[in-house]
Amino acid sequence: MTIPASDTYLKTRAAVMARRLLSRALLEHMALSPLEALSRDFGLDAILESSLSQAARNRLAEQALIHALMRDLSVLLRPLDGNARNILIHWSRKFELYNLKALIRGKLHGLPFDQIKRNLYDLPPLISLPHDRLLRTESIQELLRSLEQGAFADIALQARQVYEEKNEPFSLDAAIDRSYYTGMLRRIHRVEPGDRKPLQRLVGTLVDQQNLVWLLRYRFSYCLSPSETYYLLIPFGRRLQREQLKMLVNLDRFEQIIEHLPNALRSAMQDVKELLGVEQRLAAETAVQAHKCLRFSQSAVTRSLAYLLLREMDLKKIHALVQGRVLSLSDPLIRIALDMDQDSPGVARSMVGERV
Amino acid sequence: MKHVLLQVLTEDLPQVSLILADLALFSPDYRPHCTAHFPLVPGERFRELHAQASSRLQKISRHIPLAPLASPGELRVISEAELEETNSWLGEVWERCSRFEESLRRLDDERQMISQLEQALENFGELNIDLGLLRRERLYLDILVGMVPRANVSRLKEAVALADYLLFDYMQLRESAHVIVVGLKGERERELRSVLGTAGFRALSVPPELQHEPERVRAELNRRRLNLGQQLQHETAEILACQNELGGRLEQSRSALIMAEPYASIDTAARSAGYLSIVSGWIPARDIERIRRALEGALANPFLLDARDPTAEERPLVPSYMPDNRLLAPFSALVKQYGLPRYGEVDPTAIFALTFVLMFGMMFGDVGHGATIALVAWLARRKLGSFTLFAVSIGISAALFGLLYGSVFGYEYLIDALWIAPMSDPVYMLSMALRWGIAFLVMISFIAIYNRVIQGELMRALFDSNGLVGASLYLSVLYGIYRYHVTGGLSSAAILISILALLMLFGYQLVKSHAPPGERILVAFIETFETLTGYVSNTLSFLRVAAFSLNHVALAIAIFALADMMASIQAHVVMVICGNLFILVLEGAIVAIQALRLEYFEGFSRFYSGDGLEFRPLRLNLGGGA
Repeated sequence: MTIPASDTYLKTRAAVMARRLLSRALLEHMALSPLEALSRDFGLDAILESSLSQAARNRLAEQALIHALMRDLSVLLRPLDGNARNILIHWSRKFELYNLKALIRGKLHGLPFDQIKRNLYDLPPLISLPHDRLLRTESIQELLRSLEQGAFADIALQARQVYEEKNEPFSLDAAIDRSYYTGMLRRIHRVEPGDRKPLQRLVGTLVDQQNLVWLLRYRFSYCLSPSETYYLLIPFGRRLQREQLKMLVNLDRFEQIIEHLPNALRSAMQDVKELLGVEQRLAAETAVQAHKCLRFSQSAVTRSLAYLLLREMDLKKIHALVQGRVLSLSDPLIRIALDMDQDSPGVARSMVGERV
Repeated sequence: MKHVLLQVLTEDLPQVSLILADLALFSPDYRPHCTAHFPLVPGERFRELHAQASSRLQKISRHIPLAPLASPGELRVISEAELEETNSWLGEVWERCSRFEESLRRLDDERQMISQLEQALENFGELNIDLGLLRRERLYLDILVGMVPRANVSRLKEAVALADYLLFDYMQLRESAHVIVVGLKGERERELRSVLGTAGFRALSVPPELQHEPERVRAELNRRRLNLGQQLQHETAEILACQNELGGRLEQSRSALIMAEPYASIDTAARSAGYLSIVSGWIPARDIERIRRALEGALANPFLLDARDPTAEERPLVPSYMPDNRLLAPFSALVKQYGLPRYGEVDPTAIFALTFVLMFGMMFGDVGHGATIALVAWLARRKLGSFTLFAVSIGISAALFGLLYGSVFGYEYLIDALWIAPMSDPVYMLSMALRWGIAFLVMISFIAIYNRVIQGELMRALFDSNGLVGASLYLSVLYGIYRYHVTGGLSSAAILISILALLMLFGYQLVKSHAPPGERILVAFIETFETLTGYVSNTLSFLRVAAFSLNHVALAIAIFALADMMASIQAHVVMVICGNLFILVLEGAIVAIQALRLEYFEGFSRFYSGDGLEFRPLRLNLGGGA
């Protein structure tokens, strides 16, 4: 339970930390900065080591930025306890779930130990899986058996079920993501009533974002049926609720789905012609909602979560920028990756290869 | 401690690692050394093989337990080829074990499935419908009966509705729900199958005999259960056979892994440039010659062993060597709870052992109670292990102080006090506790000064609150108070020294802090004031030593008062026994905690940073990964 004194402290903390968020002007300035200046500003000096490969420099940058995010998380966790604390911890588990997916994909494709390990994030013990033990498993079944004995037991059971029934990595990913978001919503139900509504709105926006992207991907990229697509969605979004989703999955064209979105989402999607454009617009929409929560929400834990969401988005942009510089991409491409030019969204995403 | 650089031929590295591990006197230094001349880290493949083989052996030992090893056996160098072969064989064994695990898991699933089926058929039997409808192939209707995880039911119901099917859940058992799915036969059948698959649907077959011959169905299920039991027995027998068949070779593999581990764990402490390699690390100064002799005796090829003192920059990285001492082992464990001394700092274990035992005795002085603690500890020595000595020492100390106080199980008149009965002069007891505290703090301050000097922190040794100036302030204030107490007048020398010391402390704090001028003055003032109050409060803290000795007697008096109120002699005796047990357990624990508190907060925090690195020598690990 969050007591008023710690609420005040947490709100102040979030407000102070919000000063670190990138403004448009700063992003413009950074887009023109050389790699050396970026490394200095964000403590990424290690990537300047000339003997490192591009991939190694990229990994170092990514790891350093995640560490920065985890440091912010640990500061915000300090005054929290109980269910409110669990919300932030559960949010941060998404990084460990990236690791879990990397582990499972690596094992499915029989990748060697080092190659899988290189793709894992180094995370705080609070949320981290025992990587070495899991890496040393020698088959996907053994990996799932190991996972069934830890904090990810429910995900492992579901993943095994999907794996054994369908044997498709994307089904596993879907099961893991679903489990993550439903876990988040379950935890929100347990927080104090004052925190519950604002959290539901914020997380609902995130779920909408995921649902719409998944819906389009499952229907038009993987050609799944409406019923199976619906089954894989989470009917607890903010604007895309159960009935809305049922109606959308039954539509057969991309444009139709966009046309039938609720007003607020449809207006945000104007002139979007492809999935990656939808992703960018939805991310922008989530950023707007998170900014609102950060400034006006009465709930301290919601403000903290909003800050973390925005900070993560910023760090992704910094990563895209650093990656662009490491790969010597042209400035226009980097600007597209940073979502600073709206003309051809998605082009840079595929070139820069955003991992998360 | 000396930093050593050992130059050897690369082919000798595994043997050198083995010899160093056998002596357990070499702690590897993993910093990159001479990278320009020795660019390679040798043995990467060897390390990977060892890690994988160890992991496999560890997993295998969950199924085929290995007896603990008493000694590593004869030393022998393990070649990469042998390690590769061992790893490959362990891989095959683990594959067998993993198959066992997986099949045991599946058998468990099957067992649960049979239970579910029994329940479901029980349920079907009671339904007043024609079960033939569920079983028969229909021209227009698609009917499926099966189970899904409970959590998926409501979502699945909505999903199949989108494919124009209806889902009914008619029974819920544990984590599963039993469902019937009905819909028109047609194009969407594939869609339905796909979504059911994603939801973890498992079809249940409806036997034709169910309605008319339920016993036959039950018999069939019993047969399946029996079959399951046989399969389980078969798997268990296979595991046992595996244990008998592979036990010997697994022991050999463990031995090989034990011998291979030193070379694998030397890691980046060894670097190579083709035929020549270097190994760097830390060795206690007195053991350099022993290691040199061991290498001379074992290596056929020449080697070069250079040893030097650590540089000033290296000091924080130098591990602290705390030799194993059986007598001090339990006290050392308590010291390590606080932290390890830095290299060169005074090892506080002996001081801690002496002062802790003394303070416990002073606070808990009673012949009977002390002897009981010592006796119980001795009787429970197997359970207490190395802590037996700790408990016996504090028991003896309490018994000796009991002789000095003349107290036996709280009785103050059974023996004459060799020194003083605490309650006879409480003020004297308090003054003695203060003297003890002063002596303790002065000793600690001088150790702190010594530690600072050893660390090369001369300014801190002189001007820090626990430095020479701080100690001078403390002693001058004490002398001033003493003079005032004895003569009734102030000592100008004490005042002068105190003021000078305060000014020096203030000046040092001003120089040390990094802040704007106003804040710097404020911080320096508060820090200086805190130094003075800190010494006073720390000294007063030791009053508890006397307070607890008085408390011990007071508690005994209370117990006897209660016992005297008892109507019968038996009740009196029971009360005295229970009261003494109460004192032993509760007060004993409190006194131990208070003594520990005095050691940690009034003692260690003044002179002991506790952030040293433990000397972890390369050694033969008898677990060998298992």
